Amino acid sequence: MTVAGTTAQGPTPLTGHVPDDQILVRARQVTKRFGGLVAVNAVDFDIPRGSIVSLIGPNGAGKTTFFNMITGAYVPTSGEISFDGHAIVTTKGSKVRSLKPHQVTALGIGRTFQNIRLFSTMSALDNVLVGQHVHLRSRWWDAVLRTPRNSLEEEASVARAHELLAFVGLDERPHAWARNLPYGDQRRLEIARALATSPKLLLLDEPTAGMNASETRDLTDFIRRLRSELGLTVLLIEHDMRVVMGISDRVTVLDYGEVLAEGSPAEVRANPRVIEAYLGRGAAEEA
Amino acid sequence: MSSSLINPVHVESTGGLSVWVRGIGATITGWPAAYRAALAKNRRRTILLTVLVATVLLYPLIYTAIPSGLTRILPLPSSPVIVFMLIFAIMAIGLNVVIGFAGLLDLGYVAFYALGAYTAAFLASPHWGGVSVVLFSNVPAGFPGIHLPFMFIILVAAAVAALFGALLGAPTLRLRGDYLAIVTLGFGEIVPIFFKNLVNVNFSFGPIQLVNANLTGGPLGINPIDAPGLFGIKFGVINGFAPVYLGMGLVLIAIVIARNLERSRMGRAWMAIREDEIAAEMMGVNTVRTKLLAFALGAAFAGVAGALQASYQGATTSDFFMFSTSILVVIMIILGGIGNIWGVIVGAVFVQYVDKTLLSWAGQRMADIGNATGLEQFGDINPSSFSFLLLGIALVVMMRFRPEGFIPSRQRAAEMHVAPPGQAIGSIGLIEEEGLVPELDPTEPGGDEDPEIAEVPGEEPVGETIAESRGEVTDEEQPR
Repeated sequence: MTVAGTTAQGPTPLTGHVPDDQILVRARQVTKRFGGLVAVNAVDFDIPRGSIVSLIGPNGAGKTTFFNMITGAYVPTSGEISFDGHAIVTTKGSKVRSLKPHQVTALGIGRTFQNIRLFSTMSALDNVLVGQHVHLRSRWWDAVLRTPRNSLEEEASVARAHELLAFVGLDERPHAWARNLPYGDQRRLEIARALATSPKLLLLDEPTAGMNASETRDLTDFIRRLRSELGLTVLLIEHDMRVVMGISDRVTVLDYGEVLAEGSPAEVRANPRVIEAYLGRGAAEEA
Repeated sequence: MSSSLINPVHVESTGGLSVWVRGIGATITGWPAAYRAALAKNRRRTILLTVLVATVLLYPLIYTAIPSGLTRILPLPSSPVIVFMLIFAIMAIGLNVVIGFAGLLDLGYVAFYALGAYTAAFLASPHWGGVSVVLFSNVPAGFPGIHLPFMFIILVAAAVAALFGALLGAPTLRLRGDYLAIVTLGFGEIVPIFFKNLVNVNFSFGPIQLVNANLTGGPLGINPIDAPGLFGIKFGVINGFAPVYLGMGLVLIAIVIARNLERSRMGRAWMAIREDEIAAEMMGVNTVRTKLLAFALGAAFAGVAGALQASYQGATTSDFFMFSTSILVVIMIILGGIGNIWGVIVGAVFVQYVDKTLLSWAGQRMADIGNATGLEQFGDINPSSFSFLLLGIALVVMMRFRPEGFIPSRQRAAEMHVAPPGQAIGSIGLIEEEGLVPELDPTEPGGDEDPEIAEVPGEEPVGETIAESRGEVTDEEQPR
């Protein structure tokens, strides 16, 4: 699953041509207007398979809006998004069609939220089980009649939920309510729940928000494990530059809804337009 | 642990019917062992429950042996009252699926009750005098009208109510909260009026010609309806305590169904929707379909209750299905404990007991006092007419001292006694952005995000302080 040049040794520039079948997500000319405000403007964006890609930018740059369009939460004003050979968003003339979020999840995109959105008075285990919902086949009559399909599936999904909790290091209190877990554990539970949806692509919206330095380091290592052990592709929105520069194969900078720069972390860091956007013109000239 | 972790669970072969039968058999034969285990675990509680269940089961038999002098002193519920307790228990269990599990406020639940009752009336009465269909019924062959067996009618009533639940839900479940309540309230008003007015119907469409057709009996309703029968035993209102056991059987089935649903993929999806609908949708739950299922299945319970009510009473009129009945069921589940099946049953039993036994008993005693003391005014007071006032007071008192109900669900108890979950850490997420353009204004830096992106955050253990402050509020992990 790993693209040449994006091995575990560390990120290398991905500026060359990537073959089509190695592109997991392809977004073309994606625009989102809220009334008169253009939140995302004609963005082209590719996510190669097996890569860790970061989306950065100042506040209100349109990062979360872009996330929400990939997951089907927002219908773009125009543009096309495809994922793994399936169209998520298509535009024909002025008609824009988008899959529903649950359909996108079924295709294999899992996500976490910037502000934690766990099912707070459900147990950690149940949260992960809800994540598996989309791939389970038992119907309500199976549940009512307790058919073998229901029982076997329930057994298997509970076992897998325990494994997922163990994978994120939360196997000690599976029956604790989500909201009673410490903050860092809640973040990890959100990732476990997203993994339960069996994603090919994992979208993490500011996963290190509110974490201290050592928690952040742990999470960075953990994101690398997601790729190496589970073969996931990761799209990250992140403000902590140490995290972004440390794990990304590729960084895209959004500003005012447009792509300001794109490339390897080193390229982006050196880009005068990026420095200007973040620190102002003076800083850019100094650099 | 490898990449298999990421693959969804897939059940290849299930073994089919024989495995299912064996599984059910094992559950039933496992009862003595399960009971012994419960006894070993919590002896007092198990014995108490056993005595309670035995009392409930034997009560109808005991009641017939109680001398009438005692019922004057003690307000004991009679058989018809118990049947109504059971009918409303079925309704409460069903409404609990809709409101308690899925969090959809349905204020027109009586509509499905009415649909169930009229289904029974149509399928087991001489109403359709022009035809004679008698199948496995207590009615002699050749008797005018349609007469189908009660067990079949129950299923049809459930299906009809579920169908109408789905029809109502399909366009309205996209609404949220208050709007859904208003639409369901309207539906609850429309259906009984519909039944009341379909009496002189003139209708012509293609081959269908109706001239002054009496479809529903109008304000008089349909009367008589066949008594429920099972294996030749009749369970009508005149049959003493027998129908109580029929009702108990149906309540038992309702409990099993509701519990099985609660502890399943669907039950979890309902609860996820109740907790956070957007997150549920994002995690792959088809929220519209899942809510529709809750609505339709909840309606099916009311359909069964309606069919039981109509058959038991032997008559149905539209006046029986007032808005107040919807509210009564909502009161039952609130008092009993929304979300907890046992709680809502207790609520139904309690409300019916107060309404039908306690207040009329109090009225009789008032009359006794009036006769004994010569103060005729006492006898004129009819406490039954205050039932909604008293239930209203009970509700207010409950909200003040025990808002989660008699036997609350863990979720509800926690919600009522702890500050709302601190989900809003960080702010600009999905819900804030929804339709709120100013939140996205790129010229304004957002509130909580760190604008100085190049600066590395310090070593402040932000997460821990938040966790601590939360641990303080919610250190009780499992209330009750």
